[in-house]
Amino acid sequence: MLRRLPLFLLVCLCTGRLQAESLEGIEIHGFVTQGFLFSSHNNYLTMQSSVGGLQWTDGAVSVSDSLTDKLRVGIQLHMYQLGQLGGPNLQLDWASGDYRVNDHLGFRAGKVKTVMGLFNDSQDVDAVFLWTLLPQGAYPVDNEGFFLAHVGGDVYGYLPLGGRGGKLWYDGYLGQSNLPLNGGFLKQIADAGLAFTSSPGGKTYGGDLRWEAPLKGLILGSSADVQAMDGSAPGGGLYLIPFILTVQYAQFTKRKFYFGGEYDRAPATAILTMGPATIPMSLDVRSWFAMGSYRLSKKVQAGSYYSHYVNKGLDTALPASYSKDWVLSGRYDFNAYFYGKIEGHFLHGNGLGFYESTNPNGLKPNSNMLAAKIGFSF
Amino acid sequence: MSTTRWLILLLGFLGCWSAARAQDVVVVANKGVQISGIRDADLRAIFTGEKTRFSDGSHAVPVTLKGGQAHEVFLKNHVREDPEEFRAQWRKAVFTGQGAMPRTFDSEAALLQYIAVTPGALGYVSQISPQGQDNVKCLPVVK
Repeated sequence: MLRRLPLFLLVCLCTGRLQAESLEGIEIHGFVTQGFLFSSHNNYLTMQSSVGGLQWTDGAVSVSDSLTDKLRVGIQLHMYQLGQLGGPNLQLDWASGDYRVNDHLGFRAGKVKTVMGLFNDSQDVDAVFLWTLLPQGAYPVDNEGFFLAHVGGDVYGYLPLGGRGGKLWYDGYLGQSNLPLNGGFLKQIADAGLAFTSSPGGKTYGGDLRWEAPLKGLILGSSADVQAMDGSAPGGGLYLIPFILTVQYAQFTKRKFYFGGEYDRAPATAILTMGPATIPMSLDVRSWFAMGSYRLSKKVQAGSYYSHYVNKGLDTALPASYSKDWVLSGRYDFNAYFYGKIEGHFLHGNGLGFYESTNPNGLKPNSNMLAAKIGFSF
Repeated sequence: MSTTRWLILLLGFLGCWSAARAQDVVVVANKGVQISGIRDADLRAIFTGEKTRFSDGSHAVPVTLKGGQAHEVFLKNHVREDPEEFRAQWRKAVFTGQGAMPRTFDSEAALLQYIAVTPGALGYVSQISPQGQDNVKCLPVVK
């Protein structure tokens, strides 16, 4: 018994320290949003938006704690309902340990948000954006779960390039990512007759380099992501030949102005098997957007963007192969916690966000849409 | 008291005095912080989460006021952001798992009290009395 006493005392001391840390330094944050969509003609994002849809709720809570000067751990749970997508269950958004060796080198491991392009890792954090919907060609809200995070590890940091060179930020990662069972891709496949009961997934690796130029406010960046995918369902399966998604982007912030732009390309071949049939699907998705905004006052922000998407793997003359979206947005911050947004969309083509199950009578090539949101974040 | 200590005290006094004169805030740190002044670029980097350490390598714990004139002046003069940008940037860091938001305080008194007892703590107040300087350290900001 006496030999075990030092071990027991050590465990008590460690437990006491951990409890004291967690009680003192623990941070809890969260947000919740409620959206509204009203569209002419077509129903959008699996909602009955042509008569006005409120089935658009989003919320998350995050808890984090700094265990030491260098080590921080945290977890975020997320819930969303977007028409027939998502659901009432809480999902793990991210959960990671972050060890920052110094200001130039750090490591993250666990389920980690994937740094790619201007907004990939933050695309589900509504509170930080003016836009109600991000440019859908690059950040489709019905499929945001696919590239959003990976289970694996990241190495990140920045390199100072001298007084006239600016800084070079880097992030490299390796892991596994999965298609969410309740997301848009698998809904479309389920509508075609193949319902997955387990989430298809595969290895992923990639990286992001962004140069913070000496001209204050200017950032130029490039990302690449290699993704493979494999999954089986009763009566068939889905296989995605490993492909590379590349992203080039730039942003410039000056006083109350913000400008951003991005170009994404994803050439991929998916092979879908349904019973005896094997269906190859060739994709060559290219999208870009350009956006600008201005802060009119502490509470009011306004902006506009154009988002362009085309699948060159299909007949590009068909409206189902492209989506061109002109957008006007406004945001009002009631205080530091509550905000409201409103946005008009002028859509040409129906290559993104439209589902057969909610448009049984077919789709019109053009439609207009009003999107609005209220949100609370702390 | 050695000449070096006198010089550091003098620099601290001049830093507080010049900040108050120029409608700026007074940057304050825990007394255990070893540096005698802070570069403006380092101050910005610490408050944007880019850096987590002072120039001597010790850990920095930035803290802010919830709002008010001192908060706005500090962000404008030293972080080069308005409160809305600052908040959005930290929200992004928090909800993507890339950072922890600085602790915020309703009053300067509460902020000073926290800095006095927290190793590495760094913040700002609109002005500070000579008595207040007994518990925290004024850091002159070098442009």
